[in-house]
Amino acid sequence: MKKILAMALALIMVFALAAPAAFADGSSIAVCLASEPDTLDPALNSAVDGATLVSHLFSGLAKWAQDENGALVIVPDAAEELVEGVVNDDGTVTYTYTLRDGLLWSDGQPVTAGDFAFAWQRAASEALGADYGYMFEVVDGYGTDALNVQAIDDKTLEVTLANAVSYWNELLAFPTYFPVREDVVADEGWATDPATYVSNGAYTMTGWEHNSVITLEKNANFVDADTVLMDKIEFYLSDDANNMVANFKNGTWQLIDDVPTNEMAALKAEYPDEYVVAGQIGTYYVCWNVNENILPEGCELTGVEAENARAEIRNAISLLFDRNYIVEEIGQAGQVPASSFVAMGMTNPDGSQFYQTAGSSDDFDGYYDVSEDAFEANFDQAIEVLKKYYDFDEASFTFTNFPSMTYLYNTSEGHKAIGEYLQSALAGIGITMNLENQEWATFLNTRKNGDYSIARNGWLADYNDPICFLDMWTTASGNNDVQFGKGDHADVAAYSLDLTDLGIDVNVENGTWADTYDVLIKTIKGCTDNEVRYELMHRAEDLLMSTGCICPLYFYTDTYMISKDVDGFFSNPLGYKYFMYCTIG
Amino acid sequence: MSPKTLKYILKRIGLAVLTVWVVITVTFFVMHAVPGGPFMSEKAVSPAAQAALEAKYGLDKPLMVQYITYLRDVVTKFDFGPSLKQRGRMVIDVIRDGMKTSVKLGVVAAAVAGAIGIVLGAVAALRRNKLIDKIIMVITTAFVSMPSFIMGSLLLALFAIRWAILPANGATPQGLILPIVTLALYPMAYITRLTRSSMLDVLGQDYIRTAKAKGVSGVKIIFGHALKNSLIPVITYFGPMLAYIVTGSLVVEQIFAVPGIGRAFVSSITNRDYPMVMGTTIVLAVLIVVMNLVSDILYKVVDPRINLD
Repeated sequence: MKKILAMALALIMVFALAAPAAFADGSSIAVCLASEPDTLDPALNSAVDGATLVSHLFSGLAKWAQDENGALVIVPDAAEELVEGVVNDDGTVTYTYTLRDGLLWSDGQPVTAGDFAFAWQRAASEALGADYGYMFEVVDGYGTDALNVQAIDDKTLEVTLANAVSYWNELLAFPTYFPVREDVVADEGWATDPATYVSNGAYTMTGWEHNSVITLEKNANFVDADTVLMDKIEFYLSDDANNMVANFKNGTWQLIDDVPTNEMAALKAEYPDEYVVAGQIGTYYVCWNVNENILPEGCELTGVEAENARAEIRNAISLLFDRNYIVEEIGQAGQVPASSFVAMGMTNPDGSQFYQTAGSSDDFDGYYDVSEDAFEANFDQAIEVLKKYYDFDEASFTFTNFPSMTYLYNTSEGHKAIGEYLQSALAGIGITMNLENQEWATFLNTRKNGDYSIARNGWLADYNDPICFLDMWTTASGNNDVQFGKGDHADVAAYSLDLTDLGIDVNVENGTWADTYDVLIKTIKGCTDNEVRYELMHRAEDLLMSTGCICPLYFYTDTYMISKDVDGFFSNPLGYKYFMYCTIG
Repeated sequence: MSPKTLKYILKRIGLAVLTVWVVITVTFFVMHAVPGGPFMSEKAVSPAAQAALEAKYGLDKPLMVQYITYLRDVVTKFDFGPSLKQRGRMVIDVIRDGMKTSVKLGVVAAAVAGAIGIVLGAVAALRRNKLIDKIIMVITTAFVSMPSFIMGSLLLALFAIRWAILPANGATPQGLILPIVTLALYPMAYITRLTRSSMLDVLGQDYIRTAKAKGVSGVKIIFGHALKNSLIPVITYFGPMLAYIVTGSLVVEQIFAVPGIGRAFVSSITNRDYPMVMGTTIVLAVLIVVMNLVSDILYKVVDPRINLD
């Protein structure tokens, strides 16, 4: 027996020797964001982890950076400066950018304005079918054969926008706008192999063991190479949160981008300085199918009256949910209770939060008061509204003729827990809501086609402008899960829109969704006055929220863990993480 | 080899091909019948872009045409097509990358399980009801009844976090130690128990008694007669063990972040990456069918009494 023990000990010691003893030195960092990215082609990428990688590998006209106070700013990168646009007679706006001297691709060839023009045309093309092709929607010529963008010479890029947009500089820092070279991308597999991966940013890809690790090393050809402090970044590829925590705890990885929900409280207590909850611009919400009839059987309301009644009922139901309970007991990741759809983090032109100026009340932010103290009053108010439409049994404090509904969510413990809470909250007043879960792709299909009554939903911003939360609800949008303006709702003339006070010649009374919301979004997209534009976006959200079809629950946060030895790390509101200026102390 | 054996083998090969064809066909049509598609994402692409992508990958053609084209490419050119999700990568490359690790994992786990299992089983049988036998039985019972995801998490918590002597991710060669152990424990325990009972059975046979009576040495009896014959049931376990290792590695690869085929298989299904689903399914089906075939033929080779028909 002793012999066996001795053998076992010896074996363990051998393993211990083989294990990586010194996990990190000052010049390299190992992190884990997610599993294998679908693509590292900047045009095709639509994932946050992919965007982080691509932002290290490529250099666009602009980039996210920290100013001396640590605040996030958009600064010129490949462009000499982020110029002001010139407004043309037809309202289009032309920007002329000059590229900096000495820009090189990682294979030594010069970066030209033509590379940018080519990359943009490619990314926006239907033939490529990129998820984020629509990011070029603001550029004149989008949807036709070619965007209005030209390389005047090797160093001058001219682009014309359909009209001025306030978030244009931010788009320039978005990965879809990064340059690629025509001869490089001619090989369809270029972005899957370090040997063919040519980039122009701070790093080059030197290794990609699929499903295992991607290695980036400092690009000697990068024009600002002397400012890059981290020599080597290893992106380990795993989507298992438990595995990530194991690797963080034993010091193998210095940053992990996911933690298991059931361990959050323990990790927060154990690693108070290393457990980080950062803001992320996104909203977790419940959406109704606008065509779902929730009026009691025998209700004689039809058409506009019926829709107005349903809107009132849906809005009342939104008041029945205790968002503080959801974020504290279920979410547990520092999420913020939401009372508006456009997420926290979106700002007005004056820098104030968009959600804080949403809605009409001065007493609270957004469309209803989601503070803990207000819950009882909200609840009572909701009951009073519902009593107008449904039979209420005072003795059992339940509604007796509310039609039963089904809540659809995609398979996940977290979504299930929230579904169960919503179910129990409604069951308390006699409303039956069944739960149905579907696997992700099936769920997307069902929700998109409107084959549901209520569904879990969520939206993350692509750029810091509220329009990316609002234009998704136009009739023809591919993300119009609520089915506004579709089916029976197409003919419901229940909405009004008066913009004459803003000097815009639009005044619709009792119009359909297409007459009002679609027109409003179109007006916003053509609006060149930024103050007016934001007022219009607030009105669009007012109209959207008046339908009651959107029931916001909370604003997302990004929870990650970062070793206290790492200095110089920052992330942006879209969740991209930046390691190039990191040092390990 | 007798003509009868040859006929049997040919028949089994024919059946194996038929099985694989059925698997391909059923998977193909069921996969397309499931709602959702490869180009569906939270943020909807424009209908025009979606149509362009479908045309590019031939998904706009009638299902039957797609099926026949697919079958033809696989059979004649061994071409599994491109991945729809990992743009620019071919399915065969993804499978090759994943198989490199998975096969290493599976073969080592099977070898470890077999070697240790047989030795422990034989020891337990020869020391029947002694302390060592009881210890072996208690331990193997525990391993047989513990699912791999619990065993994996336990090993991870102890070796990678508590003592931090082994890496928690399978990106490095050392990182494969824990997944291999996790994967090997169940079949090892099973083989131990199988060997033990089969060995006990054999040790009670007349021919062993005869050998003993004739004065044959103990070592020769054990290795020349008992062990050899008691391994027949173990060989039949070869096929099921492989199936266990293949399916078990889906879980184990996830727990230890091992870049194997299992993760590619699971993610291809959630992604509706049709060619990847087909490719991985075919490879795994062929693997299991072939291994079962080999195990059946071996069975016949080690025990000529067995009537194959």
